[in-house]
Amino acid sequence: MKSSKILAMLVLLGVLVALPWIGGYATQRLMVEVFTLYAIALAWNLLAGYGGIVAVGQHVFIGIGAYSLFFLSTSFGLNPWLMLPAAVVITALFALLFALPMFRLRGAYFAVGTWVLAEITRIAVLNSDWLGAGAGMPLSTMMGITRWLRNAGIYWAALAVGVGSLGVVWWLLRGRLGLALLSVRDNEAAAAASGVNVLRTKVILWLVAAAITGLAGAVAYMNTLQVTPSASFSLNWTAAAIFIAVLGGIGTLEGPLIGVLVYFLLREMFSSYGSWYFIVLGCIAILTMLLAPGGAWSLLTRRRPLDPFGIRRMLS
Amino acid sequence: MLRVEQLSAYYGLFQALFEVDLRVDEGECMALIGANGAGKSTLLRSLVGAVKVSADSVQFDGEAVGGASERKQLKRGITLVPEGRRLFPSLSVRENIELAQRHGRPGRWDTELLFQELPALAEVQNRPATALSGGQQQLVAISRALVTNPRLLLCDEVSLGLSPYAVDEVYRLLNMARQDGMSVVLVEQNVQRALAEADRFYCVQKGRVVLDGVAAEADHHAVANAYFGV
Amino acid sequence: MLSLLETLINGLLLGALYALFGIGLSLSLGVMRMINIAHGDLIVLGAYLSSVIVLNTDLDPLSSLLIVIPMMFVIGWLLQKLLFNRVMGRDPLSPLLLTFGLSIVIQNLLQELFSADTRSLPAGDLALQGIELGGVNIGVLPLISAGISVLAFLFVAHLINRSPIGSAVRAVADDQETARLVGVNDRRLFAYMAGFVLVTVAVASVLYGMRTPFSPTAGPERLIYSFEAVVLGGLGNLWGTFFGGLIIGVAQLLGARIDTGLGPFFGHLVFLVVLIARPEGLFKAGRA
Repeated sequence: MKSSKILAMLVLLGVLVALPWIGGYATQRLMVEVFTLYAIALAWNLLAGYGGIVAVGQHVFIGIGAYSLFFLSTSFGLNPWLMLPAAVVITALFALLFALPMFRLRGAYFAVGTWVLAEITRIAVLNSDWLGAGAGMPLSTMMGITRWLRNAGIYWAALAVGVGSLGVVWWLLRGRLGLALLSVRDNEAAAAASGVNVLRTKVILWLVAAAITGLAGAVAYMNTLQVTPSASFSLNWTAAAIFIAVLGGIGTLEGPLIGVLVYFLLREMFSSYGSWYFIVLGCIAILTMLLAPGGAWSLLTRRRPLDPFGIRRMLS
Repeated sequence: MLRVEQLSAYYGLFQALFEVDLRVDEGECMALIGANGAGKSTLLRSLVGAVKVSADSVQFDGEAVGGASERKQLKRGITLVPEGRRLFPSLSVRENIELAQRHGRPGRWDTELLFQELPALAEVQNRPATALSGGQQQLVAISRALVTNPRLLLCDEVSLGLSPYAVDEVYRLLNMARQDGMSVVLVEQNVQRALAEADRFYCVQKGRVVLDGVAAEADHHAVANAYFGV
Repeated sequence: MLSLLETLINGLLLGALYALFGIGLSLSLGVMRMINIAHGDLIVLGAYLSSVIVLNTDLDPLSSLLIVIPMMFVIGWLLQKLLFNRVMGRDPLSPLLLTFGLSIVIQNLLQELFSADTRSLPAGDLALQGIELGGVNIGVLPLISAGISVLAFLFVAHLINRSPIGSAVRAVADDQETARLVGVNDRRLFAYMAGFVLVTVAVASVLYGMRTPFSPTAGPERLIYSFEAVVLGGLGNLWGTFFGGLIIGVAQLLGARIDTGLGPFFGHLVFLVVLIARPEGLFKAGRA
């Protein structure tokens, strides 16, 4: 990598880290949403774009991650930030537990099967009094922390989630798993014949995607201080992730980055239009699938190839 | 009747056929010979529109028809008996044949005529097509092509894996079609048989035509060379 | 004991309606190899269409089908022609994502046009009538809708297994590439099939709207119930879908006896358990 490029990235990172001293609370809260949603879209894209598995029920991990954090922190009076790793572990264990029934389904059946999983989990939480049932739980352990520190701390956590998840996915795709994935995506039978354990590869992806999504969900709900079953186990999370990944470009690392920028740009400008805003979003997704299934990134690179993450050279 | 000129075909980035030239005359039987993977099946599939090729590369009665859909080629009278028979397992023997007849051209060949000529098939007409023996399945596959009343019948490995008796049955049916004036293209693994049945032949090697001639005069040494590429 | 029997019967009747939801999904999965995520939203759309007709004419919900059925047929035909056919055969995920977008569009369009309030179709006297059989009370409306569901399944099974168009449909389901070789126009067939799928959706939607209040966001749940019926019954098995629907219906009502809020939970639970025990579904894959 050129030193000028490294310098530019360091400056960008420095500005992002320093944001709590520069920007107000509103900016920080918006950026928390941007980073967490980016991580969720990245995880969805990892599954769909690299593993060829679409999970319409990915939002189940948001709820599991958020509830893990809230329950542990509130019940035992522990610092919420310290509970983030626990949220990751619990979400991954949950994913592992349900990998067996889910991976019995393939393709479109898997997609909707995960949705059933999200539904059944939502109803279970909705009916669990120890999790606050329909009213949900507050994050009371945040009480003693000053407003500035609370906002900055959540922001930094979100920043770490955004940058960290990109790092993890990048590292994963450059390694042996990346090569295995590529062969699985191209031809599953041939990959299996040449010794790639297809199921194991897919389950690893599923676990990584679950862990990233659970962590992002936990941080996203630290930001709101209250978690409810209907909001955290909502299809809207997955819908946003799908929109971001499809619009940006499925199966690219850059896609979710572009997608998330466009998504929040559209949201800040047009979300006051209510239903019409969502109708337009849906239409954009449909048109993207029809006209440019590779998303915005494929349009950008049609003329000249770009490879900021140095991953294409290796994989193609 | 059929003229193929400078035909190139691709699967994605992979080129399977390179500037192939050949022709089939009215009422003629032409054999296409070559090793596995030489591009014979691709050639047949591009003639019926299952592989997209440029319009000019396939001419039927002087008309540029390359790249047209399977349905259009069928209406023009080009029909393929696909490799591996590909009968519909959910359909009975009769349904398999009638389905093709409904979408084909009108003409002499129909389901009843075939059942008359092939009484063994008539007996099992209501059984699922894939419950039959290999030889009978192949007869169904050819019948399915014949009832579309083609002018040019393309046969992809119609004797593969069949007993000698079943192979004779298959060729008996094909010869009936030829007596009706149908032109036939044979892709055959059994080179001897193909040359015995055909009027002319072409050898395909790695997507290119490397040898052609009159079947009866074929130099077996030259054919073997062309086949194996030595 | 008697009340348990009543729950069981009501569960079967509810399940027959879920089966009717699933019939179209089963057809599009089995033949076109695509899942329509907007299937449930189209059910809700059908209910709203009927509602608009009932409010503006003298027709009752069942007679409104005379208008709703042709409308839904055209909608299905157009959707297939303009949208689905363009992404089919590319990869299995494209139709899924496209219909996901469609689902969001339909939900929000309904919200914009009819507000988020729930409404229902007036069932009139039918809603109140019941018949008593040996101490067990059965509603006339659920009975009628179950009867219509059975008739619909008989009709579709006959169409698929006995008619010329059915043999083309089965051929495409078996082997699309070869079906094209024998001259089947698969894309045109798909457009008519999508239209027909929405005809079954239209019938299901009116019966649903007469039984249950609906709102613009009720679609996804309908899709999930339909999906569970299809998968439980075994992919590509039409009557399997029927029995899959019955199982979901019974599981939901038995679950609701344990806790009123847990009905759907038990439906999903049965689905997951069956998936672990018998991933190929409860019934052997059969014709279409």
